[in-house]
Amino acid sequence: MVGQYDENVLPDMLPVYYTRLFPQNLFCRWLSCGNSPQPLSNRELSFTLADDVYLRYLSINNQKEFFTLLQKKCPHKLDIGAVYNTKPSVGRHDAVVLARELVFDIDLTDYDEVRTCCQEAKVCDKCWKFMVVACEIINAALKDDFGFQSILWVFSGRRGIHCWISDYEARTLDSPGRAAVADYLCLIMGGENQSKKVHLGSDNLHSSIRRALIVIDKYFDDIVQDQEFLSTSDRLKSFLKMIPDEALRKQVQENLERMPTSSIDRWKCFVNNYNQFCKENLHGMRKMKYLIEEIKIQYCYPRLDVNVTKGFNHLLKSPFSIHPKTGKVSVVFKPDNAKDIKLDEIPTIYTLLDDSSSDNVQHQTNMRTAVKNFQELVFSLEKAEAVRRKTEANTSLEF
Amino acid sequence: MEFKIKRKSVKTVTTGSLVDVYPHDLQMYKIPPTDNISLQEFESLALERLTLLRCLATATTLKGLRIFSEEWTDFVISDLKNQGLKYYAKLCEKSGCGTLQPDLEARRKDHIAHFILRLAYCRTEELRRWFISRELELFKMRFMTMKTDAIDSFFKINNLCYTNISDDEKNELIKYLRESTFYHNNQNIENFKFYKVKFYEVLDLVKSRKVYLRGGYAYIPHKDFISVLSAQFRMLLRQSLAVACHHLGEIEQDERLVSLLKGLHQSYSGNDFISDTKVTVPIESLDFLSAKSFPLCMKQLHEHLRSAHHLKHGGRLQYGLYLKGIGVTLEDSLRFWREEFTKIMELDKFEKQYAYNIRYNYGKEGSKKNYTPFNCLKIINTNVGPGECHGCPYRHCDSGILKNKLKGYGLDAQAVNDVVDMAKKGHYQIACSKYFDAVNKTDLGLGINHPNQFFEESQKLLKGDIKIEVKKEEKSNIVKTESNNIEDMDFDEITEWKE
Repeated sequence: MVGQYDENVLPDMLPVYYTRLFPQNLFCRWLSCGNSPQPLSNRELSFTLADDVYLRYLSINNQKEFFTLLQKKCPHKLDIGAVYNTKPSVGRHDAVVLARELVFDIDLTDYDEVRTCCQEAKVCDKCWKFMVVACEIINAALKDDFGFQSILWVFSGRRGIHCWISDYEARTLDSPGRAAVADYLCLIMGGENQSKKVHLGSDNLHSSIRRALIVIDKYFDDIVQDQEFLSTSDRLKSFLKMIPDEALRKQVQENLERMPTSSIDRWKCFVNNYNQFCKENLHGMRKMKYLIEEIKIQYCYPRLDVNVTKGFNHLLKSPFSIHPKTGKVSVVFKPDNAKDIKLDEIPTIYTLLDDSSSDNVQHQTNMRTAVKNFQELVFSLEKAEAVRRKTEANTSLEF
Repeated sequence: MEFKIKRKSVKTVTTGSLVDVYPHDLQMYKIPPTDNISLQEFESLALERLTLLRCLATATTLKGLRIFSEEWTDFVISDLKNQGLKYYAKLCEKSGCGTLQPDLEARRKDHIAHFILRLAYCRTEELRRWFISRELELFKMRFMTMKTDAIDSFFKINNLCYTNISDDEKNELIKYLRESTFYHNNQNIENFKFYKVKFYEVLDLVKSRKVYLRGGYAYIPHKDFISVLSAQFRMLLRQSLAVACHHLGEIEQDERLVSLLKGLHQSYSGNDFISDTKVTVPIESLDFLSAKSFPLCMKQLHEHLRSAHHLKHGGRLQYGLYLKGIGVTLEDSLRFWREEFTKIMELDKFEKQYAYNIRYNYGKEGSKKNYTPFNCLKIINTNVGPGECHGCPYRHCDSGILKNKLKGYGLDAQAVNDVVDMAKKGHYQIACSKYFDAVNKTDLGLGINHPNQFFEESQKLLKGDIKIEVKKEEKSNIVKTESNNIEDMDFDEITEWKE
């Protein structure tokens, strides 16, 4: 769909998009987290204009200013930074970060070593399943383990997803805290020169890992079939490198090479092989106790860009911003519905503003759903903030 | 002489009897001492504490013992005894609430010495980090060797009130507690009492997934309270050091203290390779230099850049700062990266997305800080993600891949095995030193702490300078065991990052 439109018409379409479709009011309310006006005016916004001209350290006091700014600059891309102790445009070098949503950035390019359907900037509905798994796993951990409520999931515009957590505790978490949360959620470690990137040890499996494996298992067979991890000799070779024990590796190799190339059958054969091997070698299985789990995780577990989470002042693309290359809107979605997202049903600026487009009606509907999702979150966030401020006031009175 | 730290806080120790002031062997050092002590005592207390902290570092780096293991603690305690620091040995071995005169005297020394070293180590971020790490190790070790009744009274004295969760709640969660709590198999988790604390009070447990989390709370057994305490201790110390640093000017008006305090910390300043750039290295010579004078971590980045014409962020940072350190000018650096990157991207994209970072590394953008090249321990402890090839090859390479690489560089089989063996055992820097000897055809057995040191030593050999440079003797007469201070200083970063 995208191809038939021209990037050059963006400057004409953006003002219309910002006026008619961009949820400005909700956007400002979400950013000010119910504490207006203080945090809103101290929040850094950044615009990317035509030809990759960056404008950093912008800020707005209210929705009206925001509207004017959008009309004047007409940014191709909109990024959000931290809340500082002063207006970010004033004292940018001695400014201190006061708050910032806890954010996660998951990008399909980090899956290039496992996904086989696409590489780099390309993405299809097959590899989108990795994002579904990632979203469900991270969302459950944030809710159940860390007790966060205001979790916003956003399509990044091309090949990934972003997560914004606006709970008070998350917004004010310091950088060691952010790093600890990121590390808690990170299971895949190692670079180009390491084949096996997941090591679960031989003790009990942590509850959060068990829960993640349940999610992976829901999609695992599908993903194996889509991606055909084991079908070619190259893929098989890199799969075998993950088996640390030489005897088992040889066995598996011999068995799989004799089989037809279907990855799902080969995987089942490997699992049987492994179980058999465990029975025969009760000792010496310590280092391979969770081999099956480790391989599943290496294939399917979320690959976070931890630097985005750890950094306090990392800019991140705003919800409902347009991706300049694809024209797609960064829509807000509910984590439960991630699995139903079809990439070509994600609204683009071109179809939304073109009544004659065949996708127009569907994209309009999806855009409305996205705004509604956003609205629900903003409302519940404001409610939570009101409750928090009330309890805070009460406790300070008691003193 | 008078020794006072001025603080805004009005809390001071009332000079009552020592029993009231020091009820417990383990202290949080919340209140500074106000006694008068002689200059001589000041100096000896400082030096003794330094010996103690160095002893902890030695146990981990030089002896290679696993931190807080039994052997580690044994080594520390016997070393303290050998060095004539019996009172510290005792404080570390069995902390308690004894009221005998020697107990009280030891606590007083511990208290004052801690505060003296705060003054010596508050100057720079690096010194602060080293000091906090060592003091934290000391605190943890002392807590771990404490008996249960001593722990109870420690909590009481420090007003740490926590109530354990009810049996009902525990029974409901027991399955998860068993899965997620870190404990030894010989212990029975049913007998543990569990406590509920906010997750950010035990970040070290969260980070390493050693605790059960639910709804923002961490469920910890009694023994894991050390995490809560050390997090508090660390924060307190970090803040106090910032305060001390702020007031350094007032203290330094006393010249008698200045020389001592400065002397103490000077013995820890290693070379950071930031200003050694009198020689400029033209980028045309990088291919040639990388053969013999680049350590493997940089050679690998160089080759990856040449073949893929791209490096990910971590790699650009590690390699870019190293190049700056060996003497590549900013202009050359820009040209070097541009030539490679533009083979796969538009010039425009390079200038917009990458040139900024290169100028940033040279302190020309952003906060304009002149960044130092990474040292080995920083590189060893870095996280390397999918698609990245920075880090330390001895740590971040499978041994098969490492072996092939080394063979490919024409190292003989013996040398390859030596290097790979050391890497397997976890002695990454020794592996690097073996690699140095192999490519430079010597057997110096240098201790490699820094990629730029590798480069300089190799250049020295090639240019036929003095074979081995005698390590700079310490000017100060402080402590005799001071010779490889660079190593110790780097080590501090290990604990910082692991925690």
